This record gives sequence, structure tokens and C-alpha cells, in this order.
Amino acid sequence: MAHITIEYMIMVPVLIMQIFLFPLTATVIMDTWVDQRRNLELQEIAGHLGSSIQQLYFTINRASISVGSLSSKLDIPTSIDNYHFTVTFRNATNPSGSTRILNITLNLLKNNVVASTIVTLGENADWNDNSVYYSNSISIINATKTPSVIQLSLVGGST
Amino acid sequence: MASAGIDHMISLTIFMVAILVFIGFFSQTMQTGIAYERHSALSTKASDLLDGILLSPGIPDNWGQSDNKIGGFGLQDPEFNNYRLSSFSPMKLTSSTQSPVYYNGTYYGNLTAGFGGYLHAPYEKSVDYSTASEVMGINGTYGFRLSLTPTITVLIEKISTTGAPLQFSVDVAGTGFLLSNSAISYSFLLINQDGSEYPSYAIVSGTTTTDSSGSIELPAFSAVDGESQAYALIVYSYLNGLKGVGYYVHVPPSLTKTVVPLIDSFQNRSILIAHEDSVGEPPMPPSSSELNYNTSFIILTEDYTLRQVQLDQPTAFGQIVYGSGSGQDNASINVPDNDGILIVTFKDTSSQYGLVLMPWGLGSMAFPVTFGGDPAGQDWVTTDIRQVTVGGISYQAKLELWNIQGYSRVVK
Repeated sequence: MAHITIEYMIMVPVLIMQIFLFPLTATVIMDTWVDQRRNLELQEIAGHLGSSIQQLYFTINRASISVGSLSSKLDIPTSIDNYHFTVTFRNATNPSGSTRILNITLNLLKNNVVASTIVTLGENADWNDNSVYYSNSISIINATKTPSVIQLSLVGGST
Repeated sequence: MASAGIDHMISLTIFMVAILVFIGFFSQTMQTGIAYERHSALSTKASDLLDGILLSPGIPDNWGQSDNKIGGFGLQDPEFNNYRLSSFSPMKLTSSTQSPVYYNGTYYGNLTAGFGGYLHAPYEKSVDYSTASEVMGINGTYGFRLSLTPTITVLIEKISTTGAPLQFSVDVAGTGFLLSNSAISYSFLLINQDGSEYPSYAIVSGTTTTDSSGSIELPAFSAVDGESQAYALIVYSYLNGLKGVGYYVHVPPSLTKTVVPLIDSFQNRSILIAHEDSVGEPPMPPSSSELNYNTSFIILTEDYTLRQVQLDQPTAFGQIVYGSGSGQDNASINVPDNDGILIVTFKDTSSQYGLVLMPWGLGSMAFPVTFGGDPAGQDWVTTDIRQVTVGGISYQAKLELWNIQGYSRVVK
């Protein structure tokens, strides 16, 4: 009888522990998967946004366009798993005087998932440093050319 | 009692194994999902990067015709839209597949393709893989290889055996298809071996059409000895907007020396005509050798014929000497700012004639370019392709992209 008691004393805690261990393991693995997927998606959006801004800049930077404004519809989701993200424009360190480098940082408003990309633009490119945009309020990239600068920004609205 | 104890031990073991199996399978499924997401993200990145390269002229936008360093990497022709690439920017890319050549303290990149054609640009005025990665903002994150390959292959073969007449066959094919009934425009350049001090050449042009198999035998050149004379054939093929070019150069086997054109400056459009023996590391041991050369420039007209442009400058013809204290082993000439082909005809002291061609503008002779890193051994390489034109010639631009941080990176 003593043996049976000892065995039950081992088995019962193990079985009770598995009630917690099983879902905990599943949760940890799922969280890892979800975070990695969100991070990847955020990186993809950052890269695509950078590429779109670069193409818009080079389109309006032609000598044949002296002044004017050009817009491009943003082909990115407004949220990831129903969580919005912010887009921040920053000046990046620039070793060359002939270019300006735009650092685009995306921050998912959940679990602090961050992705960033840099875009190399000409010296006449300009943007508001540290300007923050919310993903649910942007749908268009706007480039406005004046004789001296090309101002880049993200705006809402529909095309 | 003993059997109950064994039952418990077995059930506990099975339970633990079940837990481990569950974690293993679950993790594997998740990893497969993550890998799929990563590959998908890499594909999007490749597409974005390729469009970024092909749809922007770079910074400054005329960097292909400048000797300065670049601030932004792009190959689009600054005067045009869409997938129309600059003829000159791709010439500044350092080949990742061909060894450089050395001349007079400088290394020159090697984009040469085929016998008798040369394209060497100085490293210090070219763009290397590391610089391109840096200005694209992917240094340390992604590796890439960019290939520009002519869509149309124009293969020229000499089908006459010995002596006169000289005859060629031309086979035209695309990437995986034959170019049936495509228009052919050919220009035959024959050196005038008339004893003049600086050899000139004559151009014979014609047009024809390929048959259903994409082949054609050109009319024979009855008065030309295919072995002892020096000549070149340049063939353009075009069909429904697709354009290709091929070339063939022949020099007599008895000719032992040649000239090597080397780009000196993209900005000044200056080319060094160097004696072959002085090119290489180390140069050939000095043994006096003289070559009399004559340069000219040809441009392609609207009707696919070649128009000769005389280079009106004192060094357009002259003598280069290697191994002698008195003469120069190179000469510098300037070419026009149009796309075209530099033709250098020459003869040695025993009146052996030769010629070499150099494209000014990558598409002029449909030279391919392979630029960037080596994808061999990478975990996963994604590829994207665009159809582009370079100087009017159809090319296929292919970008191979891989993640050089590997796949172990997790969320920041």
C-alpha cells in the first residue's frame, strides 16, 4: 500500500502540472510564431513603403517637372492582426553630402515589435524629422516639388 | 504491487514522451510557417529592390557618365520612363564573374564578351557590390546578384571553310524560343589592306529575314579571303519590339599582337588605346613592338544601318610602341556622347592587320553584366525578373536575393 501511495504522490502532481505545462508550452510557441510573423509582416511593409517613396521621389525629381505635387496610393495594410502601427520618418546619418537618407521605422502598437528600413534620396528631398503617422490614418504618399525641395509625407484620404 | 508500480512507470514515461512529441511537432509546424513567411517577405523585398534599381536613375542621375562616386543606386535612363535603362550606368558595374585586368597601376573591370570585343572600366571609377549594397541600405542584411542578359541571342558562325568566298550563318533565338521571320540587318566591316600607314575599313550592309527556325545564311562575300583578311560582322535582329545584336571578329592567325581599349574616364568619354603587351600583371617582358592604329566610331541609325563618325582629333590615328624608350604604349582618344561602337583597326610592322571593337553603351554590342555576390550556398534565394531595354536592345534583368542574416533571427 505504501508503494501505491508514493506512486500516486508522484503521478498526481505530474498530471496536475501538465494541466499548466501543456497550455503554457502551446502559448509560448504560439507567441513566438505570432511575434515572428508580425515582425516579418512589419519588415515587409517597411521595405515596400521605402520602395514606394523612393520611386515617387525619382518620378517627380525629373528636370521636366519643375513644380507640382504627385501622389501614390499606399498599397499596405492599415493593421496587422487588428493592431495598428506607427510610421516614423527620421533623418539618418549621412556620410555623403550629395544624398539624404530617410529612416522609416514601423512600430506595432502591441508587444513593441519594430521594423525599419532606410531610403536613399537626393539632396533636395525633405520631410519632417521625427514625424509620426498612424497606420489607420494614412493611405497616400505625397511628394510636393518646389524649385528647391521635394517634400515627402504620408497623408490620409482617398485617391 | 509490483505490477501497479510498473504500470505507473510506463504511463509516466508515455506521458513525458507525448509531451515531447507534441512540442516537437508543434514547433516544426510553426517553423515551417515562419519559413514560408520569410520566403514570402524575401520575394516582396526582391520585387521592391529590382523595381528600385530599374525605375530610378540613381544619385546623381547621370552617374553613368560621371567619374564621381554614387549616392544612390539605380540604372534607369534619366531621360526616359519605365524599364528603359541607361546605356552607360551598367558599364560602371564591376563584374562578379570575370577577372579584372591590370594596366599601368590600375585595375580595370572586365565586362568583355566574345573574341575581338573589349569593355574594361577602371575600378576606381566603377561601382562595386559593397558600395551598391550600402547605398541601397541592405548592407549586412541582404545579399544580391543582378544580371543583365540580352533577351535575343544572335549567334554568328563562319560557314565557309577556307579562302574565298566568305560566308556566315546567323541563328537568332530568344530565351527558350526561336525568333522566326525576324528582320536582320547586317554590316560587314572589312579592313582595307592596301598598305596605307593607318588602316581604314569599308562597310558593306544588307538586310534579310530569318526562316522559320530562326536561321539564315547571309550572302557570300566573294572577294574576301576568310582566313588571311581581318574583318568583323555586326548583325542586328528585330521583331515586334524585340531587338538583339551579335558580332563576329576575325583576325589572321599570323597576327600576334593586338590593341586593348580601356576606359579612362566616363565623364570625359576618354579611352586609352593600349598595346596588348603592356596590359597584364606583370606586363610582358619588353621586346619592341609597334602597332599603327586608326580609330573610328559607328552609331546605329534608325534603319538599323551603321553610320561612321570620324573622330576628328590628333590621336585618332597614330602609333603605339611597347618595349622601346621613345614611343608611347598607349594613346588617348575621346568618343562622342552617343551610344555606339569604337572600332580600332591596326597593323603591325610585318603588315599583319587586325581590328577590335569596344561598345560605348552596354547595349551597343549586347554585352551581358553579372553584378553582385554569389548566391551559391545560401539557405534560400529568391529571384525576380523584368524585361528592360538598354540602348534600345532587349535585355532581361534578373535579381537574385538572399538573407545574409540567416533564418535564426527572431523578434527584436
